[in-house]
Amino acid sequence: MGSVMECKHLWKTYEKHLVAVKDVSMSIGKGEIKLIFGPSGSGKSTFLRCMAMLTPVDEGDIYLTDECLTAKGVNLNAARARIGFVFQHIYLFRHLTALGNVELALRYVQKLPKNQARERALEALREVKMEEWSHHYPSQLSGGQQQRVGIARALAHDPRIMLLDEPTSALDPELTAEVIDTLRDLAKEGVTMLIVSHEMPFAREVAHEMIFYDQGAIVETGPPEHFFNHPNSERAKKFMTRLIKRTERE
Amino acid sequence: MDVPHQILSFFPFPILNTLAISVLSFIFGLALGFPLALLKAYMKRLGYLVDVYEKIFRGIPEPVLILLFYLGMTFYLPFPFSNPYFTVIFALTLRSAANQSQIFRGAIRGIGEEQMAAARSVGFSKLSSIRHIIIPQVFTYAASGLANEYALLVKDSAYAFAIGIIEITKQAELLRSYPPYDIVTPYIIAALLYILLTFPIATYFDAWGSKRKKKLGL
Repeated sequence: MGSVMECKHLWKTYEKHLVAVKDVSMSIGKGEIKLIFGPSGSGKSTFLRCMAMLTPVDEGDIYLTDECLTAKGVNLNAARARIGFVFQHIYLFRHLTALGNVELALRYVQKLPKNQARERALEALREVKMEEWSHHYPSQLSGGQQQRVGIARALAHDPRIMLLDEPTSALDPELTAEVIDTLRDLAKEGVTMLIVSHEMPFAREVAHEMIFYDQGAIVETGPPEHFFNHPNSERAKKFMTRLIKRTERE
Repeated sequence: MDVPHQILSFFPFPILNTLAISVLSFIFGLALGFPLALLKAYMKRLGYLVDVYEKIFRGIPEPVLILLFYLGMTFYLPFPFSNPYFTVIFALTLRSAANQSQIFRGAIRGIGEEQMAAARSVGFSKLSSIRHIIIPQVFTYAASGLANEYALLVKDSAYAFAIGIIEITKQAELLRSYPPYDIVTPYIIAALLYILLTFPIATYFDAWGSKRKKKLGL
């Protein structure tokens, strides 16, 4: 199985002291779903943003299929258009309707003709069950609906991989469920996804591999069952116990 | 009632002058000030030069600037500085650009870096992000500041009287020196005209901005 996305010996340091990404290597194959979890402030988001080429890396290489994105002279705009990114705090374009949000890049980045862009955008909105809200502005939508539009926006240009940065952590539990449902649908369709999330039931259900990330590095990886039953490292054990307790409370 | 009415009939041309000076300075100031704000926001190194520009032109009183160009520059460059219209619009534009640069910079900050990040994430270049995501939002945030700036320009256009343009202030000045030597009414009318020229437009700008902000949930 050829990898869709891969990184080798990635480093990212903020202001010399804070190492957010410390020599991280990983790869993800077509149709795979990997879930990154770990304490806040451990650098998960930075890592994901580096992979999406939204934050420049200090060292290391990132490959999208066979293309090295960290090489000199790569058209990064074109590369980003092939990666779907979903933000923790959503960041919809506030001056545009749901449809406008999804359509904009199709028209002006992918340069599709108007009709075709509209069709593709509506299709993406249908996929996240937001078609009937297509003419609403972000301010008129709930957080969960906004995030589903955010997912549609990333999905519309048929990316090779979806990177999702804690897509539900800014939402209350009720709204979390509808976003998780959407992600579950994507998983069924075989969309390749790298997700930062602490939604443990969801992880258990769809993730092929879980990655425990702490202090800028991958501490431990394994299938969900491994983490739920007997993680090796002490840190992962502690973290899992806390997470499971929290999930039970909810 | 008859006298003010008669005096008022002397004002249409001066009103046009006042409006032309302030509106043109506003538009040129926007054309220069907005790119300056973009430089400051998105190109860190050139941003320093923008700072220097702003400090200079916000620090010089308008009459000094106008007289400097009109009297000083004309000596070296008679064309176009000997034309008082050109000179006063030029001077007001430079100052307004400095103000508008600050207004737009605040607006860009209000929009937030996240909108830019979201735009980049779907493949927009920096420039097309500005075109498709920043510009459509920036006027909503800048509206009240721009309304203020417009009102400021209408009032500052009065300094044109110092170099012989017959705008509202100068006309009041002229009228009081002719029979019946009324030194009150012309100035009261001038004052009312200034309020009339600034207030409705500035309020409209401001209300438009608030309405749009509310609609977009900003």
